[in-house]
Amino acid sequence: MFEKLTRVEFSNLDKILYPEPGITKAQVIEYYIRVASKILDFVVDRPLTITRFPNGINEKGFYEKDAPSGTPSWVEMYKRYSESAKRDLNYILCNSLDTLIWLANLAALEIHVTLSKSKSFQEPDAALFDIDPEPPANFGDATEATLLLKEKLDGLGLVSYVKTSGKKGLHVLVPIREGYSFSQTREFVHLIGRRLASESKNIVSEMSESKKPGTIFIDYLQNSHGRTMACPYSLRATPQATVSTPLRWDDVNKKLKPEDFNMVNIAKVKDDPWRDMMRNKQILG
Amino acid sequence: MAEEEVSPKRPIWSGTVTVGLVNVPVKLYSMIFDKGVSFRFLHKNDGQPLKYERVCTKDEKVVPWDEVVRGYEVNKDSFIVFDKKELDAFKPESDQRIRIDRFIDYLSVDPTFFERQYILAPDKNKEAYSLLLTALKELGKAGIGRITLRTKEYPAIVQPYKNALVLTTLRYSYEVADPSDIEDLKGLKEPNKKELEMAETIIKSLSGDFDITEYQDTYKEKIDELIKKKLKGEVIKVEKPVKEEAKALMVALQETLQQLKKK
Repeated sequence: MFEKLTRVEFSNLDKILYPEPGITKAQVIEYYIRVASKILDFVVDRPLTITRFPNGINEKGFYEKDAPSGTPSWVEMYKRYSESAKRDLNYILCNSLDTLIWLANLAALEIHVTLSKSKSFQEPDAALFDIDPEPPANFGDATEATLLLKEKLDGLGLVSYVKTSGKKGLHVLVPIREGYSFSQTREFVHLIGRRLASESKNIVSEMSESKKPGTIFIDYLQNSHGRTMACPYSLRATPQATVSTPLRWDDVNKKLKPEDFNMVNIAKVKDDPWRDMMRNKQILG
Repeated sequence: MAEEEVSPKRPIWSGTVTVGLVNVPVKLYSMIFDKGVSFRFLHKNDGQPLKYERVCTKDEKVVPWDEVVRGYEVNKDSFIVFDKKELDAFKPESDQRIRIDRFIDYLSVDPTFFERQYILAPDKNKEAYSLLLTALKELGKAGIGRITLRTKEYPAIVQPYKNALVLTTLRYSYEVADPSDIEDLKGLKEPNKKELEMAETIIKSLSGDFDITEYQDTYKEKIDELIKKKLKGEVIKVEKPVKEEAKALMVALQETLQQLKKK
C-alpha cells in the first residue's frame, strides 16, 4: 500500500529546460525513464561526466565529474584520481534506474561515458570513430563518410555499431575483447582513418586538417582513458532536444537530419539497434 | 522516535540586563522542555496525515487566508472586527532589554506567579555578568523587572541558580485566581483537637527530603515502551502527494520497472 516506485525526490518538475519546444523537466525525466532499459545496459559501470542545465539550455550549463554534495547514499560511485582536477574524484556510476532518474532530476541533460568500465579503467571495451563534419559539410555528408567506414570495417570482418552524436556528426563503435590498451585502439582508429582519407577527397584523419571547411574529420583522439562520449540515448543541449540515437545500418542514409532524432520521437521507439553490441566483442585485426 | 536532549542549543534572545545605568549583556536560553507524548491524526485507511481547514460556518466552504479577519466577541455571537495590521500596530516590540526595577529577597516571591524559566548566559562581557551574579548570591537577592519576548511583555524575576542567572517570567496578578473566591472554601470549621494531633503524627512520619527525579510520567513511560515495540513492526511513511505532472512519471516508471524485471 505504501510502496514507492523510486527513491528520488522530484523537484521543480515544471521548470522549462528546452524553451523552444517548451519541454519541462518532468518530460525530460519521463524520457529517461522510458529509454532506461536501453541506456542502462551500456552505461553500467562507466564513470560519468554529466552536463547540467538547471535553468534550461539557453543559460549556461556546467560539467560535473565529481558527484555533487547531496548525492544519495544509494548512488554507486568510483573514486579515481583526476589529472585535470588534480585530486581524487567520486565519479558517478549510473548502475540503477533510480540513479538515472536522479540524474535527470538534476537536469543532467547530457550523460557522457568513458569507453572503459571502472573495473578495468585502462582497457577500453570499444574503439570509437567520431565522425565530425566541418561546414559547409553537413550531417548528410557525414553519413556518406560513415557508410564508407562501415564498408572498410566489414572488409576487415569487424561488426560495427552506429549512432548519431546528437549534434552534427556520428559515432561508430567496434566492441572489442578485453586486453587492448587505449593507445592500441587509438592507433587502430587512426590507421583506418588514414586509409579512408587517402581514398576520399573530403575525409581527413589528422587533427591539423579538421577545421578545413567542407571536410569530414574521423577523430581518433577520443580513444584515450578518461575521454568520454555522449552515451546512447543521451539528450543533447540543442534547441530541438536531439538525442544521440543508435541506428540500424540499413537506416543510415544521406537524407537523415540530426533533428529527426529528438526526445519526442525517440521515446516512442521500441527497437534498440545496439542491444547485442556488448555480446559481440571482437579481436582487432 | 528521537528522544531530544534537554539541552538548549542556541539562544532564543539576546540583549542586556539593565540596572540603572549599568548594562550586562546576556543571551537567553530555554530552560523548560515539555516532554509530553504527542500524536498526529492520520487517515486510518491510508496512514496519511490529516490537515485542518478553515471552513465558513455559514456556507461550509474553505476560506483562504486573505479573506480571514479577527473578531473580538463582545456578546455571544456578536463581534467587533479587527484587521491584522490594525492589531500589529499595538504589539510591543522587544527593545532587547531586561529592566530591573528593584531588588527583593527571592524567597519572598510567591511561586504561584512563576510561569517559565530561562537561563541567562553572559554575552561578550563576562566580568559584568559575574559581578551581578556574585553580588546577588551574597545578598540573597533577586531582581524584579520586565522583559518583552516575541510580542508579549512579562514581569520577570532574575535570580542566581546553580552558579548562573535564571530569569523566570511571571504571571500578571489578574491571570491567577484567588482561592478565597471559591464558594466551597467558605465557612471552614475548626478541626477537633484529637483528630488534628493524629493528622499531624501521620504527616510527621511521612516527612522527608524532596527529590524530583523520584517522579516519572508513568503514562509517557508506557507509551514510549509501546512505541519501541511498534517500531519493530510497520512504520508508516508519509507519501508526499503526487502532483499532476508527476503522475505521468509514475505511469512511465511502472512500465519501465516491468521491462527491467523481464530482463
